[in-house]
Amino acid sequence: MIELQHVTKIYPTSPRPALDDVSMQIDKGEFVFLIGSSGSGKSTFLRLLLKEDNPTKGVVTVNDKNLGTMSKWQVPKLRRTMGCVFQDFRLLRNKTVAENVAFALEVINKPQRTIKRVVPEVLEMVGLEGKESRLPNELSGGEQQRVAIARAFVNRPLVLLADEPTGNLDPETSQDIMLLLERINRTGTTVVMATHDYHIVDSMRRRVIELNDGIVSRDQSRGVYGVGR
Amino acid sequence: MRVNFVLSEVAAGLRRNLTMTVAMILTTGISLGLMGTGLLIANMIGDMREIYYDKVQVSIYLTDDVTDPQRDAIAAALEGSPEVQDYIYESKAEAYERFTQQFQEQPALIANTPQDALPESFRVELVNPERYEVIAQQFPIGQNGVEDVRDEGDFLDRLFSLLNGARNATIAVAVVQALAALLLISNTIQLAAFNRRNETNIMRLVGASRWYTQLPFILEAALAGLIGAGLAIGGLVLTKVLFVDKTLAGPIKAGIIPPVDWSAIAAISPIIAAAGVGLASVAAYVTLRLYVRL
Repeated sequence: MIELQHVTKIYPTSPRPALDDVSMQIDKGEFVFLIGSSGSGKSTFLRLLLKEDNPTKGVVTVNDKNLGTMSKWQVPKLRRTMGCVFQDFRLLRNKTVAENVAFALEVINKPQRTIKRVVPEVLEMVGLEGKESRLPNELSGGEQQRVAIARAFVNRPLVLLADEPTGNLDPETSQDIMLLLERINRTGTTVVMATHDYHIVDSMRRRVIELNDGIVSRDQSRGVYGVGR
Repeated sequence: MRVNFVLSEVAAGLRRNLTMTVAMILTTGISLGLMGTGLLIANMIGDMREIYYDKVQVSIYLTDDVTDPQRDAIAAALEGSPEVQDYIYESKAEAYERFTQQFQEQPALIANTPQDALPESFRVELVNPERYEVIAQQFPIGQNGVEDVRDEGDFLDRLFSLLNGARNATIAVAVVQALAALLLISNTIQLAAFNRRNETNIMRLVGASRWYTQLPFILEAALAGLIGAGLAIGGLVLTKVLFVDKTLAGPIKAGIIPPVDWSAIAAISPIIAAAGVGLASVAAYVTLRLYVRL
């Protein structure tokens, strides 16, 4: 599903590699926590999967496609198979909840018929029925993140990448968001979540990949946040 | 392609950057207006060449004491010359008549000119206008009643070089203005892309094609270019109605300056519109390619 083979990423502005000879494999349907301190290479890892950046060395494969040999015009197609969720939600402030979700489908040219059908479905799934016509600033942080997840999931991606999705939320709300991500994972979607939240990692007992200065320092199938915790 | 979606993005973009949009439209309009003026002058020069060059190329002025046999000899020589396409004879009376017509706005000048002051002449049209020297040699000045042989083309050349200069200057200013317009378009598009970076970032992440992401920006610039072209064409129409047709009515009627026809404006309008839309779109596209990550 996702495979990295000896991937190194060096940014021209930094002498130290952001990722240093990283190899790993993530199978279809897995739920993976990506942990490590700031600057450990988590964001670089996610950027490489989205082909927002290319590795300096090594091969990145997503959905059996080698991203290194992929041409520019194929990149949008790749991204349609992936959903993204961020710490800061990244909703469009002038669009309603339903419009924010529909936007993701409109810009990839989905027929209006499909949009009308799937947007209410996904909003119901994330627990936002009845709030379709609210604007983002009328919602709580947890609700806004639900909209973002709905937007990421509405096109039924094979992979969901979440970059600290609970970073701005209180523990209780974070727990709800995790339940939602778990539910999405149960539909067969691979979830890769970068996080600092050890409560969540410890309580979920899923695969943990820890990055340390660009190197995979730990890869545990039912791990916790800190070793020996 | 979802037309409504793209169009609403275009409208929102233009509204959000209203002052920049207005500046973009005005500079584009001025630039295109000057370009149109240059094209019209070029047309006019072409028409004037036809008016003047066709009529007269060499004038042979006769002395006051020219005899009838001398005059007949010159006419016969012109008739027989393979260099001469056509010629007309103009008597003193005809020359005076033409003079009063040309200077009808200056009665004082006419009043001070005796009826016989103007020489009689042969106006000669050559097969090849460049062959003035041949005629000059055939009719030496001061002999056989010839007072002077003048190459009228020489004077016309100077007139036309003046007009060409005016055309070139207009086009040069148009080019400078176009450069300003292009830079302004580039700036406006960068600003528009910055303003909409949230939208474009999301579009990029959910896999919208580059084309889909760029199109609203390009259409925005194209629309501004089209409106600018509209202003430019409107300016040319106003210039014709308010300046050319009024101020230059006299010389146009007298056949000295060719009129600016509606058909000429109609002919260059599509060129102006295409230039406006084309340049603006290309500027926007290049800007997006070079400066904006979409």
